[in-house]
Amino acid sequence: MKHLTRLALAGAVAVTGAAVSAQELYTPNLSYRTGPFAATGIPLMNGQADYMNMLNARDGGIGGVPVNFEECETGYSTEKGVECYERTKDKALVTQPWSTGITLQVLPKTNVDQIPILAPGYGFSPMSDGKTFQWAFNPPASYWDGMSMILQEVSGGDLSSLAGKKIAHLHLDHPYGKEPLPLLEAMGEQHGFEVLPIPVGISEMQNQSAQWLQIRRERPDYVIMWGWGAMNAGAITEAVKTRYPMDQFIGVWWSGHSDDLQLVGEDGAGYRAISWSLPNADAPVMQAIKEHVGDKSLADTEEQGEVFYGRGVVISAILAEGIRNAQAMTGNSEVTPSDLRDGLASLNFTQERIDELGLTGMMAPFATSCADHTGHSGGWMIRWDGSQFVQDSDLLSANRAAIEPLEAEKAAEYAASNAPWPMNEACEAM
Amino acid sequence: MLYRTAGQYKTTYRSDQALFPIRQDALLLGIILVLGWVVLPLTASEFVFQTLLIPVLIYALAATGLNLLTGYAGQLSLGTGAFMGVGAYACYKLVTIFPEMNLLISVLLSGVFSAGVGVMFGLPSLRIKGFYLAIATLAAQFFLVWLFEKWPWLYNYNASGAIQVPNVDMFGVWVAGPQATSTSQYYFVLIVVTVLTIVAINLTRGNMGRQWKAVRDMDIAAELIGINLLKTKLLAFAVSSYIIGVAGALFVFMWRGAAEPNLFDIELSFRVLFIAIIGGLGSILGNWLGAVLIVALPVILNTVPDWIGVDIKSATVEHINVMIIGALIVFFLIVEPHGLARLWQLIREKLIHWPFPY
Repeated sequence: MKHLTRLALAGAVAVTGAAVSAQELYTPNLSYRTGPFAATGIPLMNGQADYMNMLNARDGGIGGVPVNFEECETGYSTEKGVECYERTKDKALVTQPWSTGITLQVLPKTNVDQIPILAPGYGFSPMSDGKTFQWAFNPPASYWDGMSMILQEVSGGDLSSLAGKKIAHLHLDHPYGKEPLPLLEAMGEQHGFEVLPIPVGISEMQNQSAQWLQIRRERPDYVIMWGWGAMNAGAITEAVKTRYPMDQFIGVWWSGHSDDLQLVGEDGAGYRAISWSLPNADAPVMQAIKEHVGDKSLADTEEQGEVFYGRGVVISAILAEGIRNAQAMTGNSEVTPSDLRDGLASLNFTQERIDELGLTGMMAPFATSCADHTGHSGGWMIRWDGSQFVQDSDLLSANRAAIEPLEAEKAAEYAASNAPWPMNEACEAM
Repeated sequence: MLYRTAGQYKTTYRSDQALFPIRQDALLLGIILVLGWVVLPLTASEFVFQTLLIPVLIYALAATGLNLLTGYAGQLSLGTGAFMGVGAYACYKLVTIFPEMNLLISVLLSGVFSAGVGVMFGLPSLRIKGFYLAIATLAAQFFLVWLFEKWPWLYNYNASGAIQVPNVDMFGVWVAGPQATSTSQYYFVLIVVTVLTIVAINLTRGNMGRQWKAVRDMDIAAELIGINLLKTKLLAFAVSSYIIGVAGALFVFMWRGAAEPNLFDIELSFRVLFIAIIGGLGSILGNWLGAVLIVALPVILNTVPDWIGVDIKSATVEHINVMIIGALIVFFLIVEPHGLARLWQLIREKLIHWPFPY
């Protein structure tokens, strides 16, 4: 009986609680704090949540409406991802799928359910084509942008200098890892360098001796890594073991996680990764998080200084800016998913705006449009100096002229295989 | 009381051997069928369709397929996930090569491909038994998933290596792909699953099922009484893989909408095997009970904290969920090692004698 009363009480509290906070911006996050990729997921999700909690504490939300940044745990499983998507889609303003597999599943449904997908720095590179993918956004840079920037850095800005060289693409054997291959192969053909794709199966992420034996035998001039979760640490320890020169080993932004490098410490010095975000403990926004979220943050001070936490903050800042734009455009403080889509398609992060938001030194300027859903902010090389990641280059930007035809081709292919697929004819072409 | 059998006399052998000799059983099934065919589709929300109804139907079908092989014919298999994959990829190829073909036909045809592959990997079962056979089917599991990754023709040279379900219509109604409504998908699955379940029940009650059981209980004795082991075992592999293949096609086309090769990994095989074992090997009903426990219960448990208004972090709920489901599996297997179907059978017998047990 006692239990029953308690249950009834809890129910009553829940009902009144819901009534009070009826006005909110519901932006669920399909998080993964459990499962094989939890180590990389937790700092990102902490950064995202802390930024939104800071806005709630400091400004009372966005435009006076509190943000409900609820998490739905997927453990990186696509099955759980669909469950979360179905559970949240009635009220959700946005889907943050956090996995290429879940993105691929949700992407075709966007035209029907009309909820924008926000996949910052991941997902399907051709999503950049806003005319085809009306509801999907992957700001500030796509995987193909990342690959193009890496190639420019290793070639010193002139890809023809790579002629005759050999570049290994060490990747997770998964849609995510295969994503940049078409671009890399096209570039190789055009500029005369050899591409050596080396897949790592999900079950062999932690034991890559076979792959590194191949690398030792083939002696590639550069190894480019598209790794995630346990694969990064596995690759970096193997690279140290086989004494592969660290300054010829470069990762994508998801392979630039401090914890993976701490395992090898000094031995990993010289490893680089491309990144569209930088950690900056002195940025005003980090101070605001310390002040307004403080102990309620799930992250400790060390984690807050890391690359992934900072990236989580930037991701939430992008979403918040999209909501603000939507509020400004409609004049309402409560927005609908389609308002938010328009908001995300008119992001304009100028340097002034970045400073105004307190994100100085954490991200590069970019702007999205109806036709361009990525923005292509460019990025920096970050280098592991033995104890932390430091900025290693000036802002690099992708060679868009080389990428755009490929993007248009793949987007058209996707639309054709999913016919009938509505196009946004109102946008002018890219 | 509820299950009073007094007065239900059988006057012919035919009626004595009916599927449901006790009237109450038939009534119960009737209620469940009405619920499944009429009440639930009218009342269910999108969430219920996509996370409870459709997956339970599909997993129950896959477990039925496995149960025919493992529970009835006694051949242990760990390759279920890969055979589901064969069905899914076959269906994908059929739909993209012959877009004008009726989807129902493609789904039913895709089972033929997995039946062929199943027979191929079933050949060793003539020489090896038990755990050794399990290892042979494990080879199928790893080989096929590897093939799904390495053979780009299977996924139409898609850059991401995944298959995406296109929009498919039947008689002017979208039944697969993003345009399809959950209700039409549910009915499509329900029709296929109902038909195949009836086939499975009748197979196990007929001559073929009896031969399977004889082989399971003692294959030398079965051979001595004139059962052809080669034919019987391979037929079990063929029928089982056919049903599993159809379940795989439904799994991707009617539910997931997209699939990458590692979806069909060993975890899926184990999941289906657990459903069959916890539900009860050698029982058709067990597959349904098992699917409800393994597939639907976690989803329902996930909504409980929200429903009673307790504020717990989503990750914590996930951890608690895993613990509860694990504890329940252990509990049920201690209470009744022969699975949920046997548990239901015991309850039913008790009910028949209640309130005057002797």
